[in-house]
Amino acid sequence: MSIHFSLYRQVYKQNKLILMEPLIIKATEDTPEIRFDPEQEIFEISNVSLPENAIEFYAPILDWLKRYKSNPNPKTVFNFDLEYLNTASSKQVFELVFLIDKINENSDVTVRWHYDAIDEDMYSLGVRFTHLVKVKFELVEYEKGDMDDEDDDF
Amino acid sequence: MRQKTKKPLKVTYELFNRVGSGDFEYIYRGMFTQNLTRKILSLAESSLQRFVDKGSLQNRIYFIMVEGLQNVTRHQEDAGDMSNDHAGIFAIQKTGDRYLITTGNTIVNSKVESLKERLEKVNNLDRDELKKLHREILSTGELSEKGGAGLGLIEMARRSGNRLSFDFEYIDLYWSYFYLQTEIPSRSYENSAVEELEESKSMRDIKNLNRMLSKRDILLNFNGNFNQNNILSLLSIIKGQMSVSRAAKKVYYIMVEMLQNISKHGSNYQETSEGNSGIFYLGQTDEEFILTSGNYIANKDVKGLEERLEIINALDNNELNEYFNKILLDQNVIDPKKTGLGFVDMRLKCNRKVAYDFKKVNDEYSFFTLQTSIQTK
Repeated sequence: MSIHFSLYRQVYKQNKLILMEPLIIKATEDTPEIRFDPEQEIFEISNVSLPENAIEFYAPILDWLKRYKSNPNPKTVFNFDLEYLNTASSKQVFELVFLIDKINENSDVTVRWHYDAIDEDMYSLGVRFTHLVKVKFELVEYEKGDMDDEDDDF
Repeated sequence: MRQKTKKPLKVTYELFNRVGSGDFEYIYRGMFTQNLTRKILSLAESSLQRFVDKGSLQNRIYFIMVEGLQNVTRHQEDAGDMSNDHAGIFAIQKTGDRYLITTGNTIVNSKVESLKERLEKVNNLDRDELKKLHREILSTGELSEKGGAGLGLIEMARRSGNRLSFDFEYIDLYWSYFYLQTEIPSRSYENSAVEELEESKSMRDIKNLNRMLSKRDILLNFNGNFNQNNILSLLSIIKGQMSVSRAAKKVYYIMVEMLQNISKHGSNYQETSEGNSGIFYLGQTDEEFILTSGNYIANKDVKGLEERLEIINALDNNELNEYFNKILLDQNVIDPKKTGLGFVDMRLKCNRKVAYDFKKVNDEYSFFTLQTSIQTK
């Protein structure tokens, strides 16, 4: 844990504020894993996002971020590491990015948008977002290739 | 000013409607591998569970499904060729109180005769004789060279309590196509001449469908109910089937949109089932992947949908991007459903216009076909 974070936490305690509970949502076959943990300084959304009802899935995440916005860490790095997302999710993920853009007013925020080198559409979506928000937005390419063969044995 | 309503679109309804009009149907055509079998089975299972109560009937159907799927998989892996020519087919249909399970796969000509003999042998035995033969094979350990397919056939015949229908279709000097159909009556074990007639009609329908799909270089075809569960199974089938590439990634994205469109916006024509009935197929040529979906929609919704498609097809790339951004930024749009965002996204990803067609089926419903394609390179 960094020194400034310990200090920060002490300040919190003195002010009798409670540090936000982390938001951890496990991945399912069609929804992403969410790990928003201010104490560990981890803000990560990963796997796939193909829910039928994207609004319902993202509502609690947006709620959590709204609360985080009022008491953010001094520095926040959001990692978006999605393999697939449907159009309905892209609207909701943009809502997240839009809100993160606002958190940037109270915290030093960076968004890291990870995309597979062969996935030009994930890249394009990242580029699209950079045009629509002011927050620091890094596009991070990775090469995944064939590594994610699932344990689909019969 | 309908965009590119070419002939291939008209054929979708024909493909969809090809096979009878039973209580439900499920047809999968494509690759069968060990890894995919589970998904194909789970696709079938989810339809089955809604129609058949748990119990001995469901167990029997399930057993025959697994046995049939494993047969196709074994044969396809033997063929060692995963091209469209060797695609297998698997279908379940329910008409009245009978369930029909049909499988199809290629087989080497030299094995046709011995398989035919075994099938005829099984068909000539009554229940007690089948039981006896089954026990004999188990105790002597005398298995056929095809990894126990002989025993499998006996078990299929025993559990269905019926004759196995089969057919061989000559393809070329080396290959034939083998169809096997098992009928499972939900009530009694009795056969009647009338039923047998219908059975052969269903077999004929599936053969026709298979031929049509084969001619059109269809890699994967699914007729059935579209709900999130089935969609996820289809997606993982396609993921397992295609090698990793730029185009494969796009195929996946577009499939998600098309399949979820059917499940969310399609009309539940039959009312009885969960999910909307429809068809999806993926074809491949040297230059492109062609994705086609078809589903019912209420006649009253046709005009609105057609207008949206026309507007979106008329936009150029800049306008499409602006449209996309506008919907993202519009705080009044909470649910992008019906904004056309899905079609805009589809156009941008495929870099071409979408083709579509509406065919009026009756006073209430039309059949909506949507098609797009992705360049292979």
